[in-house]
Amino acid sequence: MLWRKSWLETRTRFLIGLFLLLLLAAGNVLEYPRVSALIPAARSLDTGGGALGGLIRKAVELQHDYRGFIWWQWFRQNLTQMWTLFAVLLGTGGLLSQTSGGAASFTLSMPVSRTRVIGIRAATAVAELLALALVPSLLLPLLSPAVGQSYAVADALVHGACVFAVVLAIGEQIVADGSRYGIFGAMTAEVYFRTGGLPWPGLFVSAAASAAMLYGAAINIAETDF
Amino acid sequence: MADPRTIETLDLRKSFGTTEALRGLDLDVPAGSIFGFLGRNGAGKTTTIKILLGMTRPTAGRARVFGLPADAPESSVEIRRRTGFVSEDKELYEYMTVDEIVRFTAAFYPKWHRDLEQRYLRAFELPLAGRIKALSRGARTKLALLLALCRGAELLVLDEPTSGLDPAVTEEVLQALVAHVASQETTVFFSSHQIAEVDQIADRVAIVDRGRAVVAGELEELRERYRRIQLVFDGGAPQPAFRAPGVERMRREGRVLTVLSSAGADRIIDEARALNPVSVDVVPVTLKEIFLETVSAED
Amino acid sequence: MLFRPNPSLGVPIYLQLMEQVKHAVETGALRPGEQLPGIRPLAEELVINPNTVAKAYRELEHEGVIELRHGAGAFVSANAPAKKVTDSVRAGKTIVASAVERLRARGLSDDEIRRLFEAELAGLTTPGGHRG
Repeated sequence: MLWRKSWLETRTRFLIGLFLLLLLAAGNVLEYPRVSALIPAARSLDTGGGALGGLIRKAVELQHDYRGFIWWQWFRQNLTQMWTLFAVLLGTGGLLSQTSGGAASFTLSMPVSRTRVIGIRAATAVAELLALALVPSLLLPLLSPAVGQSYAVADALVHGACVFAVVLAIGEQIVADGSRYGIFGAMTAEVYFRTGGLPWPGLFVSAAASAAMLYGAAINIAETDF
Repeated sequence: MADPRTIETLDLRKSFGTTEALRGLDLDVPAGSIFGFLGRNGAGKTTTIKILLGMTRPTAGRARVFGLPADAPESSVEIRRRTGFVSEDKELYEYMTVDEIVRFTAAFYPKWHRDLEQRYLRAFELPLAGRIKALSRGARTKLALLLALCRGAELLVLDEPTSGLDPAVTEEVLQALVAHVASQETTVFFSSHQIAEVDQIADRVAIVDRGRAVVAGELEELRERYRRIQLVFDGGAPQPAFRAPGVERMRREGRVLTVLSSAGADRIIDEARALNPVSVDVVPVTLKEIFLETVSAED
Repeated sequence: MLFRPNPSLGVPIYLQLMEQVKHAVETGALRPGEQLPGIRPLAEELVINPNTVAKAYRELEHEGVIELRHGAGAFVSANAPAKKVTDSVRAGKTIVASAVERLRARGLSDDEIRRLFEAELAGLTTPGGHRG
């Protein structure tokens, strides 16, 4: 019953999020023909020096092929940004209070331990976040033929899973973009994109951080006076 | 059943920061009783109830339900398995319908009484498909009560069950409680600041004031023990120090000395006669008067 | 038939119930051999604690006004004590009526009269020293 309750409490946000992400993913794919037409022209632009110029040059270079395009547009930008948003929404919905419509005392009067209640709540959120990361990503291989491209399912799964693995630690985002331990780097799995190897250090850090956060939250809830 | 006392607290204390909500509360609730827990707002009633149900942890002292410690997580789950609870705010899941929350609650209690569920749904006129958000306060209270009564619990803990209800609904609620206690082997522990309803259905009471129980016992026995003694004097009334025990309050107004005694009125009167009063009047005291006299004024 | 006891009278509820039953027997509303309401249904109807009803019935049985037949319920006693109670109560009524009339004639208010009776019944007497 607790599972059903968690689902009832989060399903609207989840479904809206899923719908939006699916639209975005489809939008990205369908955009490709137009973007690819622009790339040759963009390449010849003088973007000047400096960090921004460098970023633009990098973006242009990457997107000259479909896989790079998808990686840049979808995984690096849209999914990570939108998904972070949804993770915050779903995850911080209040483990015991707010989303229950304020009935913390009712839940607590049931013969269940607090650990179980937040455990189920957390597990539901995690499952939904996984779906939000993977399902729209899986749309990519499905839809790519429509623009005359193909996208590997493996790529979709890996990138999707990495986004998922990291957002659990979003609250304590260690801003070390580009470093081996950086969470953002792990989230976008730049390493995998370039070399096919997984961003293990970043993933490990985020897993450790999320475990620590969850443990801390459990202790806190167990000690709280309601 | 090992322990005849369903609820027992011993020197229970709770502080929230610098505020002391409970300062050594002793409670003794025997099985099968209807126990009224009276007190002003802020006296510590809700805090006590939360401790009994494991929602809040005591700072010191002991609280036991069914002989199990209320602050140990596992025994607390066991306590809640055998207890029905209605909170002060009648908190329920706003987004669920009546039917959904009944099914939700029933899933936790293998001894759920479907026959009682049907009976109360009918008697309380609760719409199965109605959203809880849209229910009136009275309907919400009745629903919360239904959820507590149908689970086959040995103990009902109710925090101000009739607050905010009109007299007709109040009567329905009290009637359901009395009927339930009469037919099931249940103990009822309810907090209230409606003295009339405690008067009506409780057989034991405790009056809590500023975190302590200032009066406790069987209601009928309290009614027989407490007396108001009014002494009128020729000149100004004295303010004697009575050696006899049981003097709770003394008030002197002009030529009149009024004494509230909780026991042994005879001995007090004997002592009083030595002061040569013009007249001595002894009258019984209502629960309301006991309450008003023994809880402190705002300080 | 039985009225709601009033908790704020300062008189124990079980006593009020007992009085009502005795009064009912005296006026003939309850006849010897007739059955009283069961403890549970009566508690539900009057919305009072079942233990209180039980106590009232026990005391009434002790006084011989009713009998509790195991498994069957409570019945008004068939024999003399009930009738004696009735006669005494009737006599008592006359005494009380005249006493109240005389006290009123002396200028005492109804409240004062009630207090005198209650004080008397509460088992404590007003001693010598009470100037009329």
